[in-house]
Amino acid sequence: MLLTVENLDVCYGHAQVLHDVSLRLNEGELVCVVGRNGAGKTTLLKTIGGFMSPARGTVEFRGERIDGMPLEQVARMGIKYVYQDKRVFSELTVRENLELAAYASGQSLDEAVAKVIAIHPKMGTLLNSKAKGLSGGERQILLIGRALVGDPQLLLVDEPTEGLAAIIIGEIIDILLKMKKRITMVVVEQNLSTVARLADRVYVMKEGVFSREIEDKKTIENPSSYEDQL
Amino acid sequence: MTNFVQSILFGLTIGGILYIISIGLSLTFGAMGIVNFAHGLIYAVGAYAVYTVVTVLGGGFLAGLLAAVVVSIPLSYVIERFVIRRLYGESIDYAIIATYAVLLIGADLLKWIFGASPLPIIDPIGVLWTSGSLVMPVFRLVIIGTSVLIFFGLQLFFKKTLVGKIVVAGLQDREAVRSLGINVEKHFAIVFVMGSALAALGGVLYAPLSTLDPYMGFQILILCFAVVIVGGMGNLKGTAVAAFSLGMVHSLTAAYLASSASDAMVYVVMAAVLVFRPVDT
Amino acid sequence: MFRSVEKNPILTLICIALAFLIYGYATSLPKITDFMIFCIFVIAFDLLYGHMGQLSFGHMLYFGSGAYGCGMFAYHIYPDPFLSILAGVLLGATVAALLGTLVVKTSHAAFALSNLALNEVGAYLVLSPWHKWTGGEDGLSLFFKKYGFINFGESTFRFYFCLVSLLLVVYLMLLLVRSPYGSLLKAIKENEVRVRFLGYNTFLYKYITFIISGAIAAFAGALMSINLSYTNTSLIAPTRNVEVIFAALMGGAGSVIGAVVGGTAFMTISNYLAVYVVRWEMFLGFALLIFVFWFREGIWGYLSKSGGALEKERSNP
Repeated sequence: MLLTVENLDVCYGHAQVLHDVSLRLNEGELVCVVGRNGAGKTTLLKTIGGFMSPARGTVEFRGERIDGMPLEQVARMGIKYVYQDKRVFSELTVRENLELAAYASGQSLDEAVAKVIAIHPKMGTLLNSKAKGLSGGERQILLIGRALVGDPQLLLVDEPTEGLAAIIIGEIIDILLKMKKRITMVVVEQNLSTVARLADRVYVMKEGVFSREIEDKKTIENPSSYEDQL
Repeated sequence: MTNFVQSILFGLTIGGILYIISIGLSLTFGAMGIVNFAHGLIYAVGAYAVYTVVTVLGGGFLAGLLAAVVVSIPLSYVIERFVIRRLYGESIDYAIIATYAVLLIGADLLKWIFGASPLPIIDPIGVLWTSGSLVMPVFRLVIIGTSVLIFFGLQLFFKKTLVGKIVVAGLQDREAVRSLGINVEKHFAIVFVMGSALAALGGVLYAPLSTLDPYMGFQILILCFAVVIVGGMGNLKGTAVAAFSLGMVHSLTAAYLASSASDAMVYVVMAAVLVFRPVDT
Repeated sequence: MFRSVEKNPILTLICIALAFLIYGYATSLPKITDFMIFCIFVIAFDLLYGHMGQLSFGHMLYFGSGAYGCGMFAYHIYPDPFLSILAGVLLGATVAALLGTLVVKTSHAAFALSNLALNEVGAYLVLSPWHKWTGGEDGLSLFFKKYGFINFGESTFRFYFCLVSLLLVVYLMLLLVRSPYGSLLKAIKENEVRVRFLGYNTFLYKYITFIISGAIAAFAGALMSINLSYTNTSLIAPTRNVEVIFAALMGGAGSVIGAVVGGTAFMTISNYLAVYVVRWEMFLGFALLIFVFWFREGIWGYLSKSGGALEKERSNP
């Protein structure tokens, strides 16, 4: 078991967002969490990633408790987060964005750059441009590339295709598919046709609880069979 | 006309000093969300250090400058480690109160050691530069030159060094830097000490233009807050522009309105900026 | 016991009155008069800080407006004590109403610093450009008309007048805090955005609160100028803001009784301990740090919490 989440309660101030959520993740799996806006998907991801502490429950990574650990320490254990809102460091160049990631994980800058070029060769031509000049799709790719630096063991991907053009969505999915098997991933996604192509397993989240877990490959590939349960 | 040029040069001097002191304040404010009143203490300590070396011990001004910077480093490290770092993520009100407390303690300590009465320091160069009817102490020109050098030095620092890049990224999105696995606070401490050393340098440069008193940190600090707020918190170029503009406001008010009104005029500009461009902090 | 004091307004007033009477007659009436006036100022400050959640670093401006409003009226127009106090309160409320339209829009750091900046400007105006009316650096020395037993030259009369004033302010504040308006203020402090989404004009509530706080602070300032029989720049000095912040923190922010406890405790320390503590500001600084880092609930918060815990223990053993 790579990741075990048990009986998680998470609150924002007085409002409880997650209620008794449990999740298990095997090495090499790609799990999608689906659900409507405000269902608590991002909160779950952020709690696993160390951005917030649960009010109750535990998060274990390779048998070690990581809930309540500082964010940077969780990241150094090999759990990396890919932001939903394309949060690149806009005042820095693409290369410098990668430089920070490389520094944090002890990899060389060349390796980091090679990694991004491997997933998206065009990045090679953009290395010296400031990140604020990138398109939405390029930013998303930079974010994924940045998270890949240092060979993470678990990738938490928050709505990777949100707000992107159809062509780029296809490319992002291809990138994620290429990474699959090598890296374990939890992907939060609203677009069920994307989920159908990616997921090994799906959790349906509704009002802060998992209302359903889908393991059957056929069901996953046929989203209309559970669409109404969101 | 001469009068006007003179005022402009005076404005540049004050602007330069304000800039040098405000950088640290702006970075702490912008990157860590802390209003740091203790910054004024470091400035005062810098001025008293140069006084001690030059007037008490009879050393040279440059030795005094060096002493000021050297003293400011451990002092600011202690303040960062034991006060500022405990305030990250807390309500900003506690940061204001706690750092103000540090300023109070330090000011009282200075009063204890040096007494409450104002102490003068003589102009270390003591040469006047004249051009036509324009008369200008060379020391003021040195101040302007120093501040320009520091501006370019810092640009280089934030563009070229890893710590600089981490701080630039942290100014925009501290959480994202942490999520890469970088301890922002640790790297920020380096920049905090650097900003403090600059504040001490500001104290050194300002001392010969004015007199020292234990509470000098209070007065300059509010002017520097004005700079930080007008320039945008954590905005390095904005800080420079605001410092020199407010320096102009200061000296032109003194020249054409009343010298006692110049501080108040800067506060008016600051309040106006605060009110009409509300910043959520 | 502490809880029942806080719940019952009449009991609260009786306790406060008794405490100050005993304290006053045991030590010195003029001194305790100062204490009570300062308590009124702390209550005004804490209405913004503890109840509305905004730290002002420039509330001395409103205290000073009250002092100068009162002083200038008595000096230049007519030395009637009541009209002078009224003039002080009106001036404070007017300044708060004018500046409030601007500063209330800001919050947190911007609020604290813009208030400080305005306080600096006010102190400058009083010192220099308006010195003809304010007396500049020398200030104004004041005397007030007597009407029979109403004699503000008498320290005993001033003591009782200020005691009644304090009780009145405490009573009004207790009513205000318990009213729906008070609950709304608390909600704004916790989450202003949510209250705004519920359809309330949060600016208006904060604005009104700012004016009330300014007016009460001015009332304290006016009483202070009467008690001292002068006004000068020390009554509007921006560097003195730390005193009221410290007092509010020490007593326990967000409680009217806490403000009175904090005000009294601060004045006691600064009047009696300052004689022995040579390094007064250093002492104040370290005490502030202790309160910020280890004792945020303040004296009254601590007492009422542990008192409440005791009561709970007794009721369900």
